[in-house]
Amino acid sequence: MTAVRVLVGALGLAAAGYGVVSLLDIGVDNLVAAGLWLAGGVAVHDGVVAPLTIALGLLLARVWRGLPGPVVAGLVVLGTVTVVAVPVLGRFGARADNPTLLDRNYVLGWLALATLTVLGSGVAVATARSRTRGGDRGAGACRR
Amino acid sequence: MRTVRIPAEADFRSSLRSPAVAARVGVWLGVCFVLAFVTGVISHEAYVAHPVIPFPTRPAWGYRVTQGVHVLSGTAAIPLLLVKLWSVFPKLFARPPRQVRELVLHGLERASIGVLVAAGIFQLASGLANSAQWYPWSFHFRATHYAVAWVAIGALLVHVAVKLPVIRRALGADIEDASQDRASATEHGPLTRRGLVRSALLASGVAVLATAGSTVPVLRKVSVLGVRSGDGPGGIPVNKSAHAADVVAAALSPDYRLVVAYDGRERAFSRGDLERLGQRTAELPIACVEGWSASGRWTGVRLRDLLDLVAAPRGRDVRVVSLQQHGPFRETTLPGRFADDPLTLLALGLAGEPLAIDHGYPCRLIAPDRPGVLQTKWVGRLEVLG
Repeated sequence: MTAVRVLVGALGLAAAGYGVVSLLDIGVDNLVAAGLWLAGGVAVHDGVVAPLTIALGLLLARVWRGLPGPVVAGLVVLGTVTVVAVPVLGRFGARADNPTLLDRNYVLGWLALATLTVLGSGVAVATARSRTRGGDRGAGACRR
Repeated sequence: MRTVRIPAEADFRSSLRSPAVAARVGVWLGVCFVLAFVTGVISHEAYVAHPVIPFPTRPAWGYRVTQGVHVLSGTAAIPLLLVKLWSVFPKLFARPPRQVRELVLHGLERASIGVLVAAGIFQLASGLANSAQWYPWSFHFRATHYAVAWVAIGALLVHVAVKLPVIRRALGADIEDASQDRASATEHGPLTRRGLVRSALLASGVAVLATAGSTVPVLRKVSVLGVRSGDGPGGIPVNKSAHAADVVAAALSPDYRLVVAYDGRERAFSRGDLERLGQRTAELPIACVEGWSASGRWTGVRLRDLLDLVAAPRGRDVRVVSLQQHGPFRETTLPGRFADDPLTLLALGLAGEPLAIDHGYPCRLIAPDRPGVLQTKWVGRLEVLG
């Protein structure tokens, strides 16, 4: 396994090295602009997205005792898909001269996704509850 | 009110934040990164006039598929990356070891992970914004996205090499196996580990379904977050309008002529002249680097027939010059293989109608298996190179 690890690691270093050289080759101004975004992405995740997720989790656990698993699953789906939807929800790239670009009602689309997610979570919770009721207070309901 | 302090690794109690979850989500994330990397390199090769391996002209839909996979695998990676980062977040607050040797190793590992996370987020965020034609930065997108892709894939390989024993143990054991967990990760929440991994995969699938309609026609109705519905003149969306390219006057001018040049010889054709030449029809896709694509029935003059009119030999590259006065793709080089291909047209019409000005009227290049931006619109000049 050591040989494999050394080989994969060396390959990785070579690829990353090529990337760094390519990045330097583009120019200093480009490096500064890209560096800002490279560091900014980490800062936004570690400093904003992650703490907000933790805060939301704590809040939810406090206000909703026995929070069902499918609800958390639904929030994972909706939360991460919403991140994917940021550029279209904000319509930042829209252009007046090009009606074929960003040509949907994305707020409506997001609401449809949110509705489906809530429905999906609801059905999963109901299914789990009816199954638990059939048995004898199984461990499946809520483990808190 | 409690004072806010920086948390310690032991403050994170959820048993979900574990190598068992990180390794499983990581495998899928790795698949997405490798797919995006390979198809990205293919796209880069398609852009340069003389790539290391000559870019093939068949299958005609090749670039449509590889670029679709590129954008969709990047999209699929976003939920996975967010869950993966969540599962390992406590590590950010790990205390550095005391011994010098361990400290150096620890520092190196932290640095490599810092590079991986920075490059990973950068690639997904810049790619996602680019797919929606949003450019809130001043770096050169294509060159930078390409360079950072190598950094990301390299850092990923280093990460796998470093973590291989942990990954193997995690994947070899049951997902609920706690032998590799942090000592404080004992709290069970409403979601099981299996539930979290499944939620991440479900989110990834939903993200793909919600956006893929821009390139997979059957999903158009489902893809509520697709950047393009697929509508447009002749059933094909527009990337850059004639107005944005500032070519409206030149394209509609009665003095418009297409000049075909080879070896000092030049011939000029009006749009009417081109219409009187032998017309061909080809079913070819427009496949944009932003990930959308659509197939069209194009009609026009076979490019090779035009080149024959100036007695240009086969196998020569052709410089294609647009009426655009500016823009990075005003001038492109069409490799000889593509210029000679029987499917390559100088299109005058789309879907049985004259070409819309936003699609490149009076005429545009349409060749098989090429990125959309190299399918030059509003062509004013074709120069056969020596």
